[in-house]
Amino acid sequence: MNAPPVRERSPIRWLHANLFSTWYNSALSAAFALLLGFVAYRGLRFVFVTGRWEIIRRNLTLLLIGLFPRDESWRVWAALFLVTVGVAAAAGALRKRALVDTADELAPASPARRTADTLRRAAPLVLLVVTLFSLRPEPLAAVLVAALVAVAFVSWRAGVSLPARRVRIVVAAGVALMLGALLLLSAFGGVGWDRWGGLLLTMFLAVAGILFSFPIGVLLAIGRRSRLPVVRAVCTGYIELIRGVPLITLLFMAFFVIGFLLPPGTGRPSAVTRALIAFVMFTSAYIAEIVRGGLQSVPHTQTEAALAVGLQPIPTLRLIVLPQALRSVIPALVGQFISLFKDTSLVVAIGLTELLRVAQVLTSQGDFRGQQLQAETLIFASFVYWVGSYTMSRESQRLEQRLGVGTR
Amino acid sequence: MTNHEAMIVFEGVDKFFGSFQALRSVDLTVGRGQNIVVCGPSGSGKSTLIRCINRLEAHDRGRVVVDGIELTDDLRKIQVVRREVGMVFQQFNLFPHLSVLDNITLAPRHVRHRPKAEAEAEAMELLERVRIPEQARKYPGHLSGGQQQRAAIARALAMKPKVMLFDEPTSALDPEMIKEVLDVMQELATTGMTMIVVTHEMKFARAVSNRIVFMDEGEIVESGPPETFFENPREERTKRFLSQILQ
Repeated sequence: MNAPPVRERSPIRWLHANLFSTWYNSALSAAFALLLGFVAYRGLRFVFVTGRWEIIRRNLTLLLIGLFPRDESWRVWAALFLVTVGVAAAAGALRKRALVDTADELAPASPARRTADTLRRAAPLVLLVVTLFSLRPEPLAAVLVAALVAVAFVSWRAGVSLPARRVRIVVAAGVALMLGALLLLSAFGGVGWDRWGGLLLTMFLAVAGILFSFPIGVLLAIGRRSRLPVVRAVCTGYIELIRGVPLITLLFMAFFVIGFLLPPGTGRPSAVTRALIAFVMFTSAYIAEIVRGGLQSVPHTQTEAALAVGLQPIPTLRLIVLPQALRSVIPALVGQFISLFKDTSLVVAIGLTELLRVAQVLTSQGDFRGQQLQAETLIFASFVYWVGSYTMSRESQRLEQRLGVGTR
Repeated sequence: MTNHEAMIVFEGVDKFFGSFQALRSVDLTVGRGQNIVVCGPSGSGKSTLIRCINRLEAHDRGRVVVDGIELTDDLRKIQVVRREVGMVFQQFNLFPHLSVLDNITLAPRHVRHRPKAEAEAEAMELLERVRIPEQARKYPGHLSGGQQQRAAIARALAMKPKVMLFDEPTSALDPEMIKEVLDVMQELATTGMTMIVVTHEMKFARAVSNRIVFMDEGEIVESGPPETFFENPREERTKRFLSQILQ
């Protein structure tokens, strides 16, 4: 009797209501359909027909790891395995805790839907891998990638099956494995990161930049709100100074000026280290401002309630204020990380050969010189950047949704 | 009453916010196990008074002594007092990012360093006592106002305080939820807890309190047992307040 009115939905009705309701809407729809069709046609034609992808195919290794010695390239694979184990196990353990702590309202119900969800999340990555293999189908690489997927699955399951209170240990182990991967690449007769290049260098600068600049940024934000005038002045001064300088200037400064600042006798840091220092200095200042915004959004009554139950100021910050502050600024934080990921391409300016630089150099080398293949190399590089950025963006939305479970 | 039995003592306490004087030479002694209701018009200093007891506000002149410990800038003493004094706020102030259970076990675990399992078992007992055990795993945002306030009471009780402060605990609640909170408070009063309650619930004051303190413009105007306070108020300001609130 009081059922809600049923609205009829059919594709034709929808089209009529939304695209062809009046003559001018119909005209606009038709015009845009033509435009879209044309762009899609040209784009697809370029990717599948006219594009000369030979340049990417022949230089794929160069694009992925730069001039990393080929005899040592097993180290890259091994490092990839270590990172995969660490990340997957940590993710599994965190997932387990989410399940234990709360009735996870957002988890897809059936195993089939969970699998579909996982596939959707991994889609950009899968697309990248498929692209790489369609460019250069190497049996050994295929076996290794299959092994990576298997290892990721096993580690994830292991993370989930561990007792929930071991989460911290697993996460710590994940970080340790990432450090292990770094050591494996650079130490024990390995290749120092000043000789890395291509996507490997891009990823290293981005990941290390994020891992260092996040805690430093949080500390700066807390320092800027400190009651001690000296701490406040130092943090505010640092943040405002760094934010007033273009990133590229910082990169140049790190390259040319750091040498003067170090005491004589200490070894000169490599160009990559200098670039990393510049990125961390720059990004931490921005993160500090983002986090400060988050800290301000937590009402003072939360601090009062924590103090009233006997918590000291530092645990109050750690357990009550920071979690709420960080949660509210996840989108801005991830935005900053995505910026950092893409800004790593600026190290071209100090002579490092990360992904974009390799892509540029290829077009003027050997057989490919003068063949006008910039479009191919730039599109490939853009595609790789997009996979990274889009994955980060999607994961941040997901994180935000999950953490949003408890908000008012 | 000997000094030994005094739980809370105010002696000539002044408190300023800038040039505004929120408390004017307040003298007040609360005995162990007593239940005091503080009332008065808004802005009269009631909240400031009880916030001086756990030093969410620092008084500017005079002495505040809680269970024999005088509150000064000494952080360790403040810490000891805060562990002994529980507080319930008008707006509940539960931690929205933690489940009800985690809200309650937070202080026992991180201040008293109790093992998680024990803290949780005790928290469940407290939730039984405030009659919302089924809400333990939910987040504060999913509870009604009355349930949130009862969870907040359980959170304060988890530290096993000797004193409970209530700052207008029912003022932010819908009328039908006031009773469930007052019932819990009334039951708490029978356990011998020392309570100071800022409230306008005069029925509660009459039924539960040993003494009613009436404040206006930062001063304690009048105080006395509920019968005398309601039947024979001495001061003109008290009469006016009562006539407004009891009509």
